[in-house]
Amino acid sequence: MKKAYWAGAALILAFLALGLTTFSSSMTPYVDFAEAEKSVRVVQVMGGLEKGSSRYETASKTLFFNLIDLETKKVLPVAYRDVKPANFEDAVSIVAIGKYQKDAFQAEKLLVKCPSKYQGQETEKHYGAKVSVKS
Amino acid sequence: MPALGYAPGTLAMWLALAAGLGTIAVYVRAYTLQKAGGEPYEASLALGRRLYYAFATSILVASALLLYRLLAHDFRLSYVASYSGRDLPFRYLFSTFWAGQEGSFLLWLFFGAIIGFFVLRSAKEQEPPVMAVYVLSFLGIVAILVKQSPFRFLAEVPADGQGLNPLLQDPWMVIHPPVMFAGFASLSVPFAFAIGALWTKRWDGWVIRAMPWALFTFVCLGTAILMGGYWAYKTLGWGGYWAWDPVENTSLVPWLATTALVHGMHLQKAREKHRKINVILAIFAFCTILYGTFLTRSGVLADFSVHSFVDLGITGWLVAIILTFLFGGLALLAYRWREIPVVNDIDPATGKEKEEPFLSRSVLFILSVTLFSASGLVILLGTSAPIISRLWGKASQVTTSFYDVTHTPLAIVMAFLIALVPFVSWKGETWAAIGKKLAMAGIFALLGVVLFLFLGVRKATDLLFLGAAVFGMASSAEIIVLFVRRKAIRSAGGYFAHVGTAIMLVGILVSGAYEMKTQVTLERDKPLVIENHGRPVTYTFTGVYFMNEDGVLKTEGQLDRNQLSDRRAKKAMEVTVSEGKTVWKAYPKQYVNERSGQMMTNPDVRKSFFFDLYISPQSYEEGTPASMQGNVVVLRKGEEKAVAGMNVKFVDFASSGSHSQGGTFDIGTKLEVTSAGKTAAVTPKMIVALSGPDAKNESPATPLPGSTTGEVRISRVSVNDGAVELEFLGLETAGVAIPATPETLTIDVTTKPLIILVWSGFYVMMFGGFLSMLKRAGDARHAAIA
Repeated sequence: MKKAYWAGAALILAFLALGLTTFSSSMTPYVDFAEAEKSVRVVQVMGGLEKGSSRYETASKTLFFNLIDLETKKVLPVAYRDVKPANFEDAVSIVAIGKYQKDAFQAEKLLVKCPSKYQGQETEKHYGAKVSVKS
Repeated sequence: MPALGYAPGTLAMWLALAAGLGTIAVYVRAYTLQKAGGEPYEASLALGRRLYYAFATSILVASALLLYRLLAHDFRLSYVASYSGRDLPFRYLFSTFWAGQEGSFLLWLFFGAIIGFFVLRSAKEQEPPVMAVYVLSFLGIVAILVKQSPFRFLAEVPADGQGLNPLLQDPWMVIHPPVMFAGFASLSVPFAFAIGALWTKRWDGWVIRAMPWALFTFVCLGTAILMGGYWAYKTLGWGGYWAWDPVENTSLVPWLATTALVHGMHLQKAREKHRKINVILAIFAFCTILYGTFLTRSGVLADFSVHSFVDLGITGWLVAIILTFLFGGLALLAYRWREIPVVNDIDPATGKEKEEPFLSRSVLFILSVTLFSASGLVILLGTSAPIISRLWGKASQVTTSFYDVTHTPLAIVMAFLIALVPFVSWKGETWAAIGKKLAMAGIFALLGVVLFLFLGVRKATDLLFLGAAVFGMASSAEIIVLFVRRKAIRSAGGYFAHVGTAIMLVGILVSGAYEMKTQVTLERDKPLVIENHGRPVTYTFTGVYFMNEDGVLKTEGQLDRNQLSDRRAKKAMEVTVSEGKTVWKAYPKQYVNERSGQMMTNPDVRKSFFFDLYISPQSYEEGTPASMQGNVVVLRKGEEKAVAGMNVKFVDFASSGSHSQGGTFDIGTKLEVTSAGKTAAVTPKMIVALSGPDAKNESPATPLPGSTTGEVRISRVSVNDGAVELEFLGLETAGVAIPATPETLTIDVTTKPLIILVWSGFYVMMFGGFLSMLKRAGDARHAAIA
């Protein structure tokens, strides 16, 4: 039994070491834009979409847009190499997870929160003809 | 009294609280009398039971009332208005019961009330302490529902509710929550028995009585997790069944704790030792459910999970409840610690404690308990990262790789334990003996490794993982065959669970690490070949339809807005897939989740034994016809302008139809178009329906005289200003040509090898758990009264 205890203890210690190192290395903290530009690790940033800043490059399948800090109004350019998320333009808040490289935040993952009609914000889109008849 | 809300329901919740408190008090009294002996305690026992019936009945009545109000569309109730609506088919209307937090708490209590009837009958001599603790374990939730009642009224009654989140409108989501909450509620039983054991100092009897319940929890939570994963796989479209999301993790951790508890109980039952482990596990298992409830319902993870519920203002209550049960239980354990007898096998020859052999069943069981606890703690740590990291800095979360990295070694060790356990006795084995017994399974494991090597697996850890899994599978299968031959299949539940686990491990690794994903943009009607896993398959985007829940396809024009099933239809992209001679049509879907405003997708999954073909829509572009820039002009009445070589004069409006009755009417604009010296009259129209469900305005394009492709349509009109905006399409001359953009569909095509093993392995595991539950229930029935 003594041997078993030692073996068990060794296994648990080894696993604990693995767990803690993985834990600290896989942390992705929420940071502000200034920190995101300096950070070398994967971080997450949150902000709004700067109006008219998004453009999709079909050739490289990359979405470029500017994230705007709703408090400080600071802007962070973001590149996202994937399909443009549906109704992206309507986003009220965007969480981007990635790393800052080559003058842009290279997002691996985007979490797009859209306005909900249940919170009183209409999402209805108007396109096509508009008519005003008062006769 | 408006504060009362829907009075019968509110009353039922208050009654439950009062009867619950009464039940606890009377059962405590019954136990004191029972322990003192002499004085008959039957009278207070009978009163305790009657009070329990009152407690349980109040909860059942409250549940029935909430369901009744939901079915009756009583939108006075805030809960009904928030989660239900008129546009729901019956089965989904039914499931709105647990769509919100209050309702799901009530569902938890509902199962607690029903399970309590059985516990009361099966607890036998332990009834007074066990029932007192059992009811206590639910009292906090009853109190929450008294405070945060599902029967509250709204200040203003809406005409219709906000409806049920479309994501939850799925058959799997109708049965998944009840099974999950049945599991949550049943975990109160081992907890009550464990606290009862500490209280009454009966150290072994509780395990026999509580074990079938722990297995019941194991099967319920396991099945619910499986259903949740399967639902995610076939509806969400991101391609997997497990995302390590907080909501998922908080159901996985109690299940792992229960699994550890089941193994610990088995050990204690066989050896009448290791008593402290099970008391600790039972307390922790119960507290993990409370903690999970806190994580997902207090809003602490709001920025980290898409699923998390919002804060209802019950955070403080939840924290108080967790701390009460965790520290109350642990304090009681500490108080009794020295009294718990530690049994040592004394060697009569030497008079010293016998050395437990290293390779014995006891050690394997202790290792398995350690393994499940380690897994549970790691997941708990990862899920709590946003809270923990707040202690020293900014709230952070861990990436999902944290869970994958830590669980790879755990899974490998688990597979080896599964392989060893059938052939290792309690007394212990020598390495040589065990080697001989495991020879056959070992050969299978080697064959498995060779097979996977041949199939293209090259990574050493993957081969080790798969080899260990096959080893466990073969060894468990071998012992099951033995049980079947002895016609003792009912006793093989544990081994079925093990073989299922091993099968599932193979499925998890192969389908996850060896899936192949290709993203393509399909142009309408242009075939494209994608080769995944060496199988060339042709995909053609052939149309856009709307599909209702019965799978009926309609074009947009065929949709009838008066029909519920048509209103609920989702946009389905038709992709014609052909592989060799097999041709089929896949219908991945896209729709807007009106609750969150987000675009949702449903994949199309083609299943076969070796591969699932998973087609998930990413984006759809309608495409635009060729047009000319600068083709929009605004004209006032009587004005004329030159447009691409033509002269266009806006003469007058020409309306027809009546708009006083809410019917349709046309706004026409009389134009005179002069082209190449010829003048002709054109009257493009805008058709307007003012009100009702068909409110719309359309302006079809009208052909231009003297041009083969040219058309004109009204894009905007203001009768009051006497102005109209005209759009000219398809003109041959002048302006800048804008080329047509094609109609395209971007899809992710993923082939997932052997994913069927994930589901089937899990099924076998659950079957094993069920068999064990039956066997242990029999044991408990026949057990002597301790």
